Amino acid sequence: MSTATTNIATKNIADSILEPVLTPTTAIGINNVTVSFKTPKGTYTAVKEISLTVQKGEIVSLIGHSGCGKSTLMGTISGMVKPTTGEVIANGKKVFGPGPDRGIVFQNYSLLPWLSVYRNIYEAVDSALKELSKAEKRELVERNLKTVHLWDHKDKLPGQLSGGMKQRVAIARAFAINPSILLLDEPFGALDALTKSNMHVELLKLWNLDNREKTIVMVTHDIEEAIFLSDRVVVMNNGPEATIKEIVPVPLERPRNKKDIVHDPVYMQTHDRLLNLLIDKFSIADIKD
Amino acid sequence: MKAKAIKIGWSVVYFVAGMLLLLGMWDMVSRMTKGELPSPVATWGTFKEVMTNPWQNDPDYKGIGIKLLSSLARVGIGFGLGSLIAIPLGFVLGSSRIAMNIINPIVQILRPVSPLAWFPLGLAIFQDSPKASIFMIFICSLWPTLINTSFGASSIPQDHKNVGKAFGFSVWKYITKIMLPYTLPHIFTGLRLSIGVAWMVIVAGEMLSGGIGLGYFVWEEGFNGGSIGKILVAILIIGAVGLLLDRIFTSLQKRFTYAV
Repeated sequence: MSTATTNIATKNIADSILEPVLTPTTAIGINNVTVSFKTPKGTYTAVKEISLTVQKGEIVSLIGHSGCGKSTLMGTISGMVKPTTGEVIANGKKVFGPGPDRGIVFQNYSLLPWLSVYRNIYEAVDSALKELSKAEKRELVERNLKTVHLWDHKDKLPGQLSGGMKQRVAIARAFAINPSILLLDEPFGALDALTKSNMHVELLKLWNLDNREKTIVMVTHDIEEAIFLSDRVVVMNNGPEATIKEIVPVPLERPRNKKDIVHDPVYMQTHDRLLNLLIDKFSIADIKD
Repeated sequence: MKAKAIKIGWSVVYFVAGMLLLLGMWDMVSRMTKGELPSPVATWGTFKEVMTNPWQNDPDYKGIGIKLLSSLARVGIGFGLGSLIAIPLGFVLGSSRIAMNIINPIVQILRPVSPLAWFPLGLAIFQDSPKASIFMIFICSLWPTLINTSFGASSIPQDHKNVGKAFGFSVWKYITKIMLPYTLPHIFTGLRLSIGVAWMVIVAGEMLSGGIGLGYFVWEEGFNGGSIGKILVAILIIGAVGLLLDRIFTSLQKRFTYAV
């Protein structure tokens, strides 16, 4: 009896502390996170004292110059990078390492070159969703491959696919384990403009299919991509010791049409704002000097 | 298709040119020694003689085919046992820096030891000369596979490791789906070098141990029997089989190398 009371008491204290940060709709809470690496030249602090909250179903982009620590910050959410101080809460639980509730799409696809398209996804599903039966796992792989239109290519090896196709496999793999949080690390960086544009639409389609319940955090350095996809764009300062410079909301209605939104005044304002934040260092005046 | 045919055509031309060069030099040396070293033509005669009844299996005389198989079997056992230890140990060394630091000095000390030095040790341990020659092959063919496997396992790209981490691969799945497939080409490179060493060592081993095999054939029927022709025939057979073994492992290595 006394144990039960203590439990309730502890829970209440915990709740009262976490309540402000973790309302039921909060998917990700980054609390005062600093990441430092030990290098031969001493300690290198990539990101410093960053706090950020992402709501459930929200799409947030992290944008900044190369080496500004945006991938590092993303790594703390996925669990690949351990914060030196501070903590990350995902789905109400503190992040200690990677987990199947957070699907990752890597910068360079990271498909296993000796496994067919089908096996690449199947092995991930098999590991992440152990409780499913074999038939259910196969069904999941099939459904996700069909969604990204790669069912006909299921027996090919990654080496036989184009960049866009590889990226679709990587996205299908991340979606197949049905994570509530999806983390994309410069997912479309290596693709040509046309393929990239198609992939944006594909991604939003998948997100819509799931009733817009998945939370998506994406690292990018492409302003148009960030605006088209995101609800909020987090602009980061240059590293080392990078911090958040500003969070720019994107108040554009969904569904967004790629052709139409570029003429929308809100789009143009947002675009200008982001452009200014990212390239304020280099104005024409500087060049004249 | 046509370009490929031309390429193959040229490689045949080069091969024939190389063989002709070898035969020419051989013939020249043979003339200079006034037939002390048998000429290619005379050796061809000996070759045909050796090749009659290759599968003769009498208690007092074994055909050349039986001898070859006997040598191959010995190499197979020594090399097989060596690989069975070298590959898993290579995985361990490649995955653990501590294990590498402990084992590496041992490898560096034992690796350069001459095969001949191991023979008497094997004889002392097993009290049996055929077993001693298998031991010699085992211990000499271990190192290339061990070194290449551990190098392969230690160079698995972070990208591949991240996949395992992100999707929560079990240790078994990591070994079978990431570590082994990535390391396979390195393993085959090691095996190719190891079988080369094993095949080289067998001749020395059989000369010391006697019994049935190509090495003993060189010593007993060639040198003691006073037939340099037979020695030359044995050298050619040993070389050709060695080349064949090398090619088998090269093709396996290519077969399991994947484009990213």
